[in-house]
Amino acid sequence: MADSIIAVDCSLEVMDTLKEMLGEEAILSGKSFEDIDSLQDYRMILVESADNQDELLQRIKKLRYACYFRNLPIIVIKKQGNIHAIEPYLSSGATEVLSLDDPPAAFQQILKGYLSPNREPLKEEKEYLDSFITNTCNVLKTTASVEPSFREVYFANDFRIFGDISGIIGLSGKAEGILGITFYWPLAKMIIAQMMGVDEDRINAELIHDGVAEIINMIGGSTKKEFVDKPYHFEISLPSVIVGSGHQIGHAEKTPIAVLIFEVNFQYFALQVCLNYMKPQNH
Amino acid sequence: MKVIVADDSRVMRNIISNALKPMGFEILHAANGQEVIDILQLSWSEIGLILLDWNMPVMNGLEVLKEMKGNDQYKDIPVLMVSTEAEIGKMDLAFNEGAKGYLAKPFTQDELTKLISSTIKI
Repeated sequence: MADSIIAVDCSLEVMDTLKEMLGEEAILSGKSFEDIDSLQDYRMILVESADNQDELLQRIKKLRYACYFRNLPIIVIKKQGNIHAIEPYLSSGATEVLSLDDPPAAFQQILKGYLSPNREPLKEEKEYLDSFITNTCNVLKTTASVEPSFREVYFANDFRIFGDISGIIGLSGKAEGILGITFYWPLAKMIIAQMMGVDEDRINAELIHDGVAEIINMIGGSTKKEFVDKPYHFEISLPSVIVGSGHQIGHAEKTPIAVLIFEVNFQYFALQVCLNYMKPQNH
Repeated sequence: MKVIVADDSRVMRNIISNALKPMGFEILHAANGQEVIDILQLSWSEIGLILLDWNMPVMNGLEVLKEMKGNDQYKDIPVLMVSTEAEIGKMDLAFNEGAKGYLAKPFTQDELTKLISSTIKI
């Protein structure tokens, strides 16, 4: 089945170039930013650089948020002669910046590369990820009376998470890595209010920081208990909290991060599991 | 009866305090192990129970248990560990240092109430 790609506010010139590059493997839909109601059915978002760069950066941020943590590439297409730096696009949430000045073969290869399907978890990855999924749901159900539904998992090597607040703990011991949870502010506030049994208007930033740290602490602690005598058993550090959209979480080189997306009443959060453990030797 | 709730998370201290309120306790909050020791130094004879987290900055829960075990005034105050560290090995360590019970986070109000009822006379 052809991949659906949305081209946002792209000129005819750029649309024609993209159609030629993507061929029949993709269905390209041109839309204006204001007409987008959902990104659910798309595999890629293309936006054309504009003279008003500030407005475009704001739109990229909004598009990134509307991806709800999904691994949906946002590609900025710069027209010939555009000399704007690429960093502002990337820090706003774009995945890649391509230019019509780029050699067509390279442009096409990069574009199609982002349409490669996500890999499925390996058997052993599935085993430990299932425990994280179960315990994430259990922690939030027991402490906040909310029932998250697990939606999807993908693996990312070069990973930036775009959310408002993340709780992070370091994992060490037999297995090493990082465990993180990322929320948008409204869902974090609702969950912490539920945990404390108070109205949301009594929840301030300090309590959200504290509560998100405790949530990741409980997810890590309750999961590691299940890994005793398994190769991916770990010890947990004290949690840290990071605030700010588009923050980047570093991780060990060559260790992919599994991003698990959950939904609570049409709001989303992401759990990131980066676990490096000694694989059993095959004899 | 006064109960110390020791946890570095204010949210968790509130969750535990809310669960304890119906039991009529007066709750004292401690954000780390050293604050538990500070409260004991001031008013150990009024404390009927301590709910103690394991992982805390400054002084952790296990260090508090060791400190209490070596002090004649504090050693008989019942301590319940309330922690994410809930592996058998960790629990044994805590019991060996004098903990009277162990509750893994996350817990339900019912689990907390039952553990307290089985540990002290209310």
